[in-house]
Amino acid sequence: MTKIIGKVAATEKNPTTIDEFYFWTNKQRILNPFDVVKVEHIENSISYGIVEEISHITDSASYLSNFISSDFGDVSTQPNMHRIGMNFVKAKVLGNDKSIYTPVLDGSKVGLANQTEVLQALGLKDIKNPLICGYMEMYRDEDKISLPVHFNSQFLIGPEGAHLNISGISGLAAKTSYTMFLMKAIQEQYLQKSDSNDSVAFVMFNVKGRDLLAIDEPNTNLKEEEKKRYTEMLGLTTEPFQNVKYHYPYSDQSKAKTYSYGQCNDIEAQIDVNKAFKYKYVFEDDKLNLDLLFSNIEDSTGTMESIINFIITEQGGFGEVTSWSQFIAKVGEFTRPGRTTGDREISVMSWRKFKRVITKALNNAIFSQRVIPESNEERLRDSIVNIQKNEVHVVDIARLDQDTQAFVFGDVIRAIYELKLGQEEREEKEIPSKIVIFIDELNKYASNDVPKNSPILKQILDISERGRSLGIILFSVEQFKSAIHDRVKGNCASHAFGRTNAIEISKADYRFVPTVYKNMMTRLDPGEYIIEHPVFRSLLNIKFPKPLYKQFPNG
Amino acid sequence: MERILDFIAKETDGKNYKSYKYCFEAVEIPKLEYDDKKGIQVKNKGETDRSLNTTKSVKDLADKISQTGKPLFKYFLDGSRRTYKIDDIAYGKRLYPVIAGQIGVAICERVDEHSFKAVNFKNPLVISLPENANAQTTVGNDELFFNNLIQKLNSQEILKNQNLKFSKILPYKNTLLTENDKYEDRGVAKIQDEMIALEQKVVFELVKARKLNDDSFLIKDGSLEYMKSGESKELSEIKANYDCVVGVSKAFNPEALSNDVKDISRRIAELKLYHRTPAFMYQTERIPDVKFAVWYLRIRETLSPFDGVLKIEKILVREIQEVEGLDSDEIDLISANIINERNPVCYGKDNRWEKHLYPVYLTESFIKSQYLSDIHFINLF
Repeated sequence: MTKIIGKVAATEKNPTTIDEFYFWTNKQRILNPFDVVKVEHIENSISYGIVEEISHITDSASYLSNFISSDFGDVSTQPNMHRIGMNFVKAKVLGNDKSIYTPVLDGSKVGLANQTEVLQALGLKDIKNPLICGYMEMYRDEDKISLPVHFNSQFLIGPEGAHLNISGISGLAAKTSYTMFLMKAIQEQYLQKSDSNDSVAFVMFNVKGRDLLAIDEPNTNLKEEEKKRYTEMLGLTTEPFQNVKYHYPYSDQSKAKTYSYGQCNDIEAQIDVNKAFKYKYVFEDDKLNLDLLFSNIEDSTGTMESIINFIITEQGGFGEVTSWSQFIAKVGEFTRPGRTTGDREISVMSWRKFKRVITKALNNAIFSQRVIPESNEERLRDSIVNIQKNEVHVVDIARLDQDTQAFVFGDVIRAIYELKLGQEEREEKEIPSKIVIFIDELNKYASNDVPKNSPILKQILDISERGRSLGIILFSVEQFKSAIHDRVKGNCASHAFGRTNAIEISKADYRFVPTVYKNMMTRLDPGEYIIEHPVFRSLLNIKFPKPLYKQFPNG
Repeated sequence: MERILDFIAKETDGKNYKSYKYCFEAVEIPKLEYDDKKGIQVKNKGETDRSLNTTKSVKDLADKISQTGKPLFKYFLDGSRRTYKIDDIAYGKRLYPVIAGQIGVAICERVDEHSFKAVNFKNPLVISLPENANAQTTVGNDELFFNNLIQKLNSQEILKNQNLKFSKILPYKNTLLTENDKYEDRGVAKIQDEMIALEQKVVFELVKARKLNDDSFLIKDGSLEYMKSGESKELSEIKANYDCVVGVSKAFNPEALSNDVKDISRRIAELKLYHRTPAFMYQTERIPDVKFAVWYLRIRETLSPFDGVLKIEKILVREIQEVEGLDSDEIDLISANIINERNPVCYGKDNRWEKHLYPVYLTESFIKSQYLSDIHFINLF
């Protein structure tokens, strides 16, 4: 064994087991959680372990003994020697190169592993369908090793497993950056693929400032060192995203006629090269999605649903309505007391509530009379169902109010779902076989508090449960995983944990995580994640470089 | 597989009884055992500074050393043994105990404040049998007989399997017992002598390796006054090895010097914190040609008067020392450095923590950690 750092200690209280072992090291030996160590085992085999906890002990019987050792509390005492002390490390067994799982023996030598051994130990060697997901750093100084980490892409975007969930507190976790890093890696891989049956496209929502409004423009602030990391270690190019289309909400107020945080000049420039569009909703085509406006409204008696049904089935004269303003006027008729028309079972009070909700929402300029394609206006749904292979569609909803955001979001995922179910008139082979949807702030649509009958929640549940086979993959992001609906996170094959807070790690979702890793989650740097993936033998602590696309530090 | 006792009985034509096996240290009621022995002649002045009649504080010097200098003591020596009554064996008309023991002698080195390592460690296993285990005693063949026996013993399967070896058979006198005399004590004494011989040997090896000098002294746990017996050499012959060795005793008889220094026990009891007594020079009847300097030093304020006081001994190696006593500056230096060894303490781990010096405690702990467990050892037989 090359670099021996300690020996296994099996005691009565802490025996070595199939799953774990303890070893001692010199008190000045620096190790970190997630470092891999190797142990000499029987039949000349090598067992591998991953560091979970490190403790320092001395022979002091009690604190009192330390107090007395300072001349009964004299802080200036300088003894000739320190107490005898050592570190003992708890490690989880990762495996054995001869598949021997008998507990490692007391006194066995423990050493540092080299790069190949680390890969083997963590199950990262010979990963099938490798897709880069970051890099790992281990040990220090001359022992330091850095190695790329790969997902098996079949477990990330199907068909073996699907969906990724990323959690972490705002700002410090760099959740969006990590999702974009992964999507960039996927796009790059698929751009080089020639197999026409296996293709991918992306739909993402810009929910904050200008975050994703220039993802096809390079990040000019990226340092050489970071670029090198992309090319040399991670095997990626330093190009930003390609084939990107931006969809901005229409507005009649601004110069660019969009309702966005994006600068008018930038948007106009994008429109000029035909990669940006302004989306609108037209009554005749979009009335079927009216239910989406009610996704955050408690409707335990189902009256809102009845009204929507009433309208969709064109009862009470709704069949003649052709615009949003007519629609509001028509609804107004049902709110007058003593009316004689319509479904008598729906009370006037319910109609009034319905009217309140839609009036507020329909005030937005995106609910418009008609679409003018010549001015780069569009019906969002039409663009989405026409999604092409390797395209990235960015839907900007950052400036919309929460209910309208939900409406747009619901409309898009409903469109994708129907596209993949084959309800659109498109050739099967023309449709991307996998569509990755990036949802930021998942808690808005699929938290435990969302009304159970929310149409968007139903849609997300459908996708998380059936999406793998349909080829719809969710990359969802939220601040607090514990707030997310169990069925949504339960169906995610891969998970990434960024920096979070102490309250969060005390929740049941983190029960399986060893205490030290949990506490580490509260100290992770931006660009650092703890990830869980079906092919990994353990949680891994990985890093990723800064984004390749243009950043707007001030939002 | 033949048991060791059956083998010994067969080889020495005795009869073994398979009596109850036990560890002496585990059953005997501890009796007060002082490191200093009787028959002492004391001269009042054991140091060059003749004017020191009362006591003297060495705290300032200790502080100065701890702030600027390196500690004087670099090596720490301790020896201990664990003895067992293994069986009774009959030779002729009498029954003799078979005593076995584990001896541990170690020197640990303190390289810096963080690093503490054993540099020399000996832990032989021994057996003590009555001399008449050798039935054909002729002058000088005892050694041959027992050497032969130990070799045969070590080739026994039970020992080979466990990779264990006995280093010696120590014959004890089988002469008739006098009052208060026991064969067990004679056997244990032989093992004790063997331990002392090993202690001398490790000091010699350290000196030979030129590790001891004016900047690196050795503390030996207990008195330096070795008894002359067994394999241990005459102290007078090897005293040159002890120029940089200081004996520090935790347990001492405060009245030991009282024949010549009348109020000695009161003076020890009233010793102020970090004060030392003047050094006395003494000789013992057993080793008449070696002179010792001895003084007492209080390293801790304690409730009972003698706790926290150490007896410190140094062999007077040079002729001039034997005449004028030990240099007072050296005594101060040694005392100050021992004061600086007072921390950390082994409070909670060892009842003698008030007098224990931590590096010595560690050396002792190291030796103990290397012993075979009592159950393991006893069941070899």
